[in-house]
Amino acid sequence: MRYGKSSWWRGALLHTTMLVLVIWSVLPFLWTVQTSIKFTRDVAAKEPVLWGYETTASAYRSFWLDADDANMWRVGLFILATALIAAAFALAGRWLRPAWAFRLASVVTLLGALWLFPRIWETNDEYDFLVNSIVVTLLTMIISLSIGLLAGYGLARYTGISGAVILIIALGFRALPRSAFVLPYFFGATRIDDWLESSGVGNFDFPLIDVPLIDELRLLDTRLVVVLALVAVNQPFTIWMFRSFFMDIPKELEEAAMMDGASRLQAFRKVIVPVMTPAIIATGLFTLLLAYNEFLFVRVLAPTEWTLPVAIVSLTGGESSRTITEAAAASVSITLPIVIVIILFQKHLVKGLGAGAVKG
Amino acid sequence: MRPKTFWYFTIPSVAVMTLLMVVPLATTIWLGFHRLLLRDLQNPEWIGFENYRDILTDAEFWTAFRWTMLFVLIVVPIQMVSGLAVALLLDRVRRIRSVYMAALLMPFIVTPVVGSLVYRDLFDRGGLIAWLWEVITDDPFQITSGNVRYLIVIQAVWAVMPFAMITFFAGLQTLPQDRVEAASIDGAGFWRQLWHVTLPHLRTLVLFVGLISIMDMYRIYDQVFVWTGNRFTEAHTLQVYNVRIATAFDIGRVGKGNALAVLTVIGILVVLIPFLYQSYRDQIAERT
Repeated sequence: MRYGKSSWWRGALLHTTMLVLVIWSVLPFLWTVQTSIKFTRDVAAKEPVLWGYETTASAYRSFWLDADDANMWRVGLFILATALIAAAFALAGRWLRPAWAFRLASVVTLLGALWLFPRIWETNDEYDFLVNSIVVTLLTMIISLSIGLLAGYGLARYTGISGAVILIIALGFRALPRSAFVLPYFFGATRIDDWLESSGVGNFDFPLIDVPLIDELRLLDTRLVVVLALVAVNQPFTIWMFRSFFMDIPKELEEAAMMDGASRLQAFRKVIVPVMTPAIIATGLFTLLLAYNEFLFVRVLAPTEWTLPVAIVSLTGGESSRTITEAAAASVSITLPIVIVIILFQKHLVKGLGAGAVKG
Repeated sequence: MRPKTFWYFTIPSVAVMTLLMVVPLATTIWLGFHRLLLRDLQNPEWIGFENYRDILTDAEFWTAFRWTMLFVLIVVPIQMVSGLAVALLLDRVRRIRSVYMAALLMPFIVTPVVGSLVYRDLFDRGGLIAWLWEVITDDPFQITSGNVRYLIVIQAVWAVMPFAMITFFAGLQTLPQDRVEAASIDGAGFWRQLWHVTLPHLRTLVLFVGLISIMDMYRIYDQVFVWTGNRFTEAHTLQVYNVRIATAFDIGRVGKGNALAVLTVIGILVVLIPFLYQSYRDQIAERT
């Protein structure tokens, strides 16, 4: 859009305004970053020490590690090397075939580093909460996206009234407050756990396999119950989003495949899903944000199996012995991964917001 | 698509939503009629509308209710107007637009509780703004029950403005250029163009952002919890108050909490039902 001719001072004014807005957006983070690398004496000073202070990574060390003498340069190097190797694999997948093998290698690198890290350095409980966060986020994404993708396709192609009813009920659920769900989840999970315990089913030892999500069979205070809750509250959004993307794909695409003798499911898998990749990434990003950022469900349903947001609030509250610098280091540590992911996939996020909005 | 195929595709999702949304909602309504304590979840006792009477005569509820309404009425309009203004600015930027966009999106993607924590750092002792305040007014700045509401509002606007901005920005990209040109040939200034061309084009988006924001601000929990905790209970919004009365250690009244959840649900549905009805009619029209 243009409103009349632009001149140089208008451009300068525009960019100055934008700069002010950028500062307003990121200033709190910049402040926290500089707090996280200071010594406590400089943070507690009456007048803020804005430059020329000594920097230290000790806040990061005492938040994540249980070893006071760990060399943080080595930790940094380890993280940097992991990131570079993972990025190299991911980039190689753009040109070399088969692409999926390189993407897999990238994921394996990240998970391998996650496994290796506590075997090199003595870690705190906070590291377990990081692992919890990752497990909960990944599982929520996998379950939510797969069932949502199927339903979104069905709802886009079916023209019966029941489709409309499901969509409208889902839309209503999208609006409901968390309190209407978290209390019955808590009540239900307690009841199920009581039953599991009294009937003896919960203490059943699975032969051969070790169920990774649940130590002994129970719901409350497990990652499983958080995943279930998140999948449920995320479904309405997911099916609406996928449906609006599927509506853009011409029916003729799968009809042609079905003429050639493919079944509906084969046509869906071989023809439709590949063209949906951008939609899956966009919806996946929103699911990732939802699961990674979740606070209330974890706080109530998993009183000790925390994820990072609950951990950081509980550990930096008034009664804890954590210092301001450690709280700042924690804030930076948990924000950084999400910022990197979003910057990498910014285009998809913006497109997803646009798509959901323009049609929704 | 045949009905049978449709159900094959949708049944996993519908099953999840039935088991984990419809059933819990029914449980909420049912529990709302019971006396049920957190330390004794085995024995719900039917007490009819006792919980509802208890809530409606509770001064704390009315404080939370009034504050939540006020909060929505302040934050949503500011968010929409500032979001539109920033979207219009961003639309005029040609160079390094994606850099600006990434920076402006930061408050939207960051974990809400972390957003509140980093904001609190600015206002707490030793924080940048607390220091500036002291330099200017000569008084030390302290977060009190008096000013914590202002801080909650400021931080909420900071956190939700990017959502409105990016949605309106997406809408501006589809604005038909010929209508803009026709308007400027007719000599329409910025405001007339905004009123007669841009805003009508963004009409559905304004409704969309408005509804989502009303829903999200009405049920805000994370940020308010971090700002207030157990210190400033009088600044608790409905959600924080609701979870507090139901899950407070040892004294949690789960029955009353469920009754309040039912009232909260009714509250948002009153706002939403005309819109849901309209969407339903659109859906039916699409099918015939």
